[in-house]
Amino acid sequence: MTIQPSREWRQRLGSSALPFVDSRIYTERDIFEDELRQIWQKSWLLVAHESELSEPLDFRTTTIAREPVAVVRGEDGVVRAFLNVCPHRGALLLREPAGNLRQSNPSGSPKRITCMFHAWQFDSKGQCLSIPRRNAGYQDRLQCTDVSLNELHCEVGYGGFVWVHLDANPVPLHEAMGGAFGALGPHLEAEPLEVFHHHKAIVRTNYKLWHETNSEFYHDYMHHFNRVTSMQQAGYHDRRYEAFPGGHATVSSMEVKYTAYEHDRVNLAEERDLSFPLLERNGWKLLDLFPGITLNLRGSALRVDTATPLSEDRVLIEFRGLGLKRDSAAERERRVRDHNTIWGPFGRNLPEDLLGVTNQTLGMRPGSEGLHVLQARREDSRIHDEVGLRHYYAEWSRRLGRSASDPYTEKARSLSAVGEELATPRAGAAE
Amino acid sequence: MSARAAAELRAELTDVVARSAFLLDEHRFGEWVDLTAADFRYRIQAYSPDIRREMTWLDHDRAGMVALIELLPKHHVDGADLLRQVSVGHVLSESPTEASSVSSLSIFYTARDIGDAHVDGGSSRLFLVGRYHDRFRREGEHWRLSERTVRLQTRQLGVGSHLFP
Repeated sequence: MTIQPSREWRQRLGSSALPFVDSRIYTERDIFEDELRQIWQKSWLLVAHESELSEPLDFRTTTIAREPVAVVRGEDGVVRAFLNVCPHRGALLLREPAGNLRQSNPSGSPKRITCMFHAWQFDSKGQCLSIPRRNAGYQDRLQCTDVSLNELHCEVGYGGFVWVHLDANPVPLHEAMGGAFGALGPHLEAEPLEVFHHHKAIVRTNYKLWHETNSEFYHDYMHHFNRVTSMQQAGYHDRRYEAFPGGHATVSSMEVKYTAYEHDRVNLAEERDLSFPLLERNGWKLLDLFPGITLNLRGSALRVDTATPLSEDRVLIEFRGLGLKRDSAAERERRVRDHNTIWGPFGRNLPEDLLGVTNQTLGMRPGSEGLHVLQARREDSRIHDEVGLRHYYAEWSRRLGRSASDPYTEKARSLSAVGEELATPRAGAAE
Repeated sequence: MSARAAAELRAELTDVVARSAFLLDEHRFGEWVDLTAADFRYRIQAYSPDIRREMTWLDHDRAGMVALIELLPKHHVDGADLLRQVSVGHVLSESPTEASSVSSLSIFYTARDIGDAHVDGGSSRLFLVGRYHDRFRREGEHWRLSERTVRLQTRQLGVGSHLFP
């Protein structure tokens, strides 16, 4: 006898008009590989903040869709991105997460990117400077001018963040942003920011499930901290989602009552009054960027999450905390404390979010018949409305040519069809 | 300080450090707080090679630690058992009533209710490594912790923890 999932799982919950996605979009390897090709290799991704590359010849390394990437500030001050791979024999070039090229390595000279394997050397613009015993080995068949690092599209902006795109012909960054940065722009672009926190976690979940926790607030029931400081306070249920082209969304502000959390009452002799430029005291705004970036500005600290999908059930998440570059030591200490009380690896909120998405992954097993995962709350785009999720999956479906609600049997649909669906959802399909 | 006095000091401070680890393992938080001085300060710090900065991940005075402990039941806490393995290395007497020590720390994690309890429950892994940098004050017959800074080498903690090392 074959045991079948219950009817409620295989068919739709409640009314047939309730939007859902098929759980196989979180569990199946072939969909994940499509995502790397169709989404992650074709999106502008936030890889660092300019304050991580403040000096000439500073570098930072990362990975995008399995490709090793290096970001380098040249002696001319320009930030450039390269595939972090030697064009000679494919070895990784810069091996540290960050550093400065002035520091020589055992195979090469200062100010150069030197491959440790055969000592080929490149400058900070990616131009080849030296091929050891070039003439003896290659004679006239290969010159330094024939060789360079593979430069990627790279821009610095939108709060001083460094954005990289793997594709050779990307849409311009401002076009990809689709106007979504407008709500945070006044607070993040009034003066330079500076990163003060970075930690990372490899979590057993699909990257989209992590992004979903940043794209719906209904799960605030899980967080004691959010319940008492926000959900039970005036203005919380008036916060609104606004969707932007490209799968992005923003959430409007409210005043967070930090003193409602018992821990804060004990620890803070003074009210929290440190903020960001033009942000109301203890305001809270959020920007979700497709496919896996979140800027969360709350009170005195900006938290930035960036996801690096590793497989269909594993994601590397980097968490950054930022304040203002001009902070005094006392101000910076307060921002750090405020940030880490909630969002550090020993903070009150973050482990709960990570537990939540881990549990989702345990509940949705690969190979099982697709569950129908609801994204159906409609509250006039207010805070517990799941419009952020539906909007995300409209873009996801457009990029992949698969319906998130029916990823295996429905034919690829055109952008216009998805757009129509967003406006008037089909019975049961996620927008 | 004589060799005998130094040995006695090491033995006394080692006992405090070992008890602090044992009490946290056992979730006997009240007794752990009793090991601390009234002006106790607790920090968790790490260096990030990613952003090339020192980071402070937790920084509380004694009242803050008590509040954090008292609020644990209101949070969804990873219910794993943590076992702290501590080896006291350097001990320094700074005055008859002040001393400090540096200890190597490793914490093992045994899965309980996170993840698939049916499959993973009971399995153990290394959770973190680092050092305790402790300062002590003599109060009557007892040495009490006046400051603890946990310097972590481990920076990837997975889900992380509401509990503290």
